[in-house]
Amino acid sequence: MNDLLMSLPDQGEFFKTLIYLFVTYYKVILFGLGITVLLSVVGTVGGFFLAIGLTGFRTLEVDKKRDTLVIKILKVIGQKFAVLYVTVFRGTPMIVQAMIIFYGVAQANLFSWWSPLPAGLIIVTLNTTAYISEVLRGGLESLDVGQMEAARSVGMTKSQAMRHVMWPQAIKNALPGIGNEFVVNLKDTAVLSVISVVDLFYAVRQSASESYRFLEAFMIAAIMYLILTYLSSKLINYLSRRMSQTGEANL
Amino acid sequence: MSTLISVQNLKKSFGPKVILNDVNLDVNEGEVITLIGSSGSGKTTLLRCLNLLNEPDQGHIYFEDSDLMDPNTDINHLRERMGMVFQSFNLFNNKSVLDNCTLSPIKVLGLSPDEAKKRAVKYLEKVGMKDFISANPKTLSGGQKQRVAIARALCMEPKVMLFDEPTSALDPEMVIDVLNVIKTLAQEGMTMVIVTHEMGFAKDVSDRVLFMDQGVILESGTPDEIFNYPQEERTKQFLKRILSH
Repeated sequence: MNDLLMSLPDQGEFFKTLIYLFVTYYKVILFGLGITVLLSVVGTVGGFFLAIGLTGFRTLEVDKKRDTLVIKILKVIGQKFAVLYVTVFRGTPMIVQAMIIFYGVAQANLFSWWSPLPAGLIIVTLNTTAYISEVLRGGLESLDVGQMEAARSVGMTKSQAMRHVMWPQAIKNALPGIGNEFVVNLKDTAVLSVISVVDLFYAVRQSASESYRFLEAFMIAAIMYLILTYLSSKLINYLSRRMSQTGEANL
Repeated sequence: MSTLISVQNLKKSFGPKVILNDVNLDVNEGEVITLIGSSGSGKTTLLRCLNLLNEPDQGHIYFEDSDLMDPNTDINHLRERMGMVFQSFNLFNNKSVLDNCTLSPIKVLGLSPDEAKKRAVKYLEKVGMKDFISANPKTLSGGQKQRVAIARALCMEPKVMLFDEPTSALDPEMVIDVLNVIKTLAQEGMTMVIVTHEMGFAKDVSDRVLFMDQGVILESGTPDEIFNYPQEERTKQFLKRILSH
């Protein structure tokens, strides 16, 4: 490696240095890029499913007349938990959440498998859950109340109505927002390098600190991130358009 | 003729505003009742209390063997037996016409998809919408949507049908198709409670017309009695205003 660094292009040879660094470090950089994509995909997909549950808690309604006391209490606890969860995870930076969760679990010695990558996957998932939950709640609230009433009027329980009528429509409405969360994750997972997750940012920083060519190295990072977000946005737009033509989001 | 629904001393307020103030009503089997009155008189709220889409504050509603005000009554089972048609149709936007009609028979009544489809075809044919079986609700006109909504309710084979201003959101030329469907149901002996502003239709189809005003049933009688010989001053005023144009 040091040999390679010996033959670095001169200062000021911006493009040459850029290419040189990429060629030298492409394995590390592409690996990091893979990890960034992995974090974003797992975070968004996992966050989506957890968010459905969390939004379910959030939208619980106490039936004053028919619920037993225990059910009422459980419903209120569920609601409060969901509100608290969203407030905490949206109200603190992910970089701080990463530090607390990663070192907290490490210090408590809870899991033998605890290491940066699985920790990073869990942190980004927990964080995304809060954001997608808000997107889903918006999707549900944008539906006409008549949809629920119609479902109830033909004898469906609230959960049947949610499952067959409300959620499919809410998720469809929420797809652009969920896609947006994916794009945000591609960029924001960079902060997970703080707990030594070897993502794109971490890989580039390594190449920068070894070569002392920070401008060129981080320009590579910028280009990589831009390609990722650009392609993802295109893909998401294409998928949303197709979904709106074919109609139904299947659960 | 046995009583199917019995409403006793029903009261309902939204906040400080009293919507229903001591309403009493018996709906007999096979009877067609229309509720008329100006907006805000409580017609829609009364109708929505019958299947507990609005929760009454006080009073009693008995339907077949159930006491609706008893917290232990299974309201889902109750609603299976009461069809409802809304002013704004409320077709499930994520389902085709067929799936709108089969969803609840399959999920709630436990019919097989084949049985449910057979039933859906039967009722869609009845409302003249069989050709649109695989259509997306978004592509239908208001009158078509409303006829599908009627078929969807009929697919549960309910004991009674509740209509909440079923033609108020329709273009004038669509109204007649929907009213004809409802008339057919009336002729076949379906028990129905209908909130409507269509006076001609109310005259035609009703066994009994109820005039509601300020949360009470002010006057009730045969269409002839209400429309030709109204007793109450408020009824006369209402009919004069609504029939004068």
